[in-house]
Amino acid sequence: MQIRLAATPFEPQQETAAFAAGRADMGALVSFVGLCREVNDGRDVAELFIDHYAGFTEREIACIAADVAGRFDCPDLLVVHRVGSIAPGEAIVLVAALSEHRGNAFEAVRVLMDYLKTDAPLWKKESGPDGVRWIEPRAEDRVRRAQAEEERI
Amino acid sequence: MVKLVFLGKFRGLAREDFETPLPAEIHTLSDLQAWIGRRDPALGSAMAGTHTQLVVNQAVVRDLGLPVNDTDEIAFLPPMSGG
Repeated sequence: MQIRLAATPFEPQQETAAFAAGRADMGALVSFVGLCREVNDGRDVAELFIDHYAGFTEREIACIAADVAGRFDCPDLLVVHRVGSIAPGEAIVLVAALSEHRGNAFEAVRVLMDYLKTDAPLWKKESGPDGVRWIEPRAEDRVRRAQAEEERI
Repeated sequence: MVKLVFLGKFRGLAREDFETPLPAEIHTLSDLQAWIGRRDPALGSAMAGTHTQLVVNQAVVRDLGLPVNDTDEIAFLPPMSGG
């Protein structure tokens, strides 16, 4: 399991290729990349800033990733998440999973992303012509997370 | 010295993270939060107006009646927005 917070832009394809290199024992590689959009909720976005609590944020993400890895029997997970100042078009987050068969890797990536979108200790601030605002979790993300929790039971 | 850390929108309202000798009147986390509010009313009202989570020495704490020690690092977290 690899968890990394990146203060500068990263290249998702290079990260994914390095993650999967030499893993001939695995039949499935699933990855998801979240990108910074230039428009959010109808507002132009010039800059996204993601605040984090150094040490705590990494450990919390690692803790959930370990839970997901165990639940889907998918120990090979990669999370790269930007922090600091991000420009539209840049990758914000990469989540990747390796598994023997595709089902577990798909599920692990989906559930881990749902967590990262709602409960990870990260705080987003958007800046643009309409001013600056701190973002709170979207209702639809919370609903999706709740559904994921129900599926667990 | 108690180290105070403010995240997200609290960081924007606090002048900065800071270390301070523990004032004598502060015994609990609740006392500490009230002290910060008196010192910095805008930050205090922001923390009172939302769900504020406290993290003491990197561990989430829910009981604000717990004592504060002079070597603690105490972080104030607004609701998380996720990535």
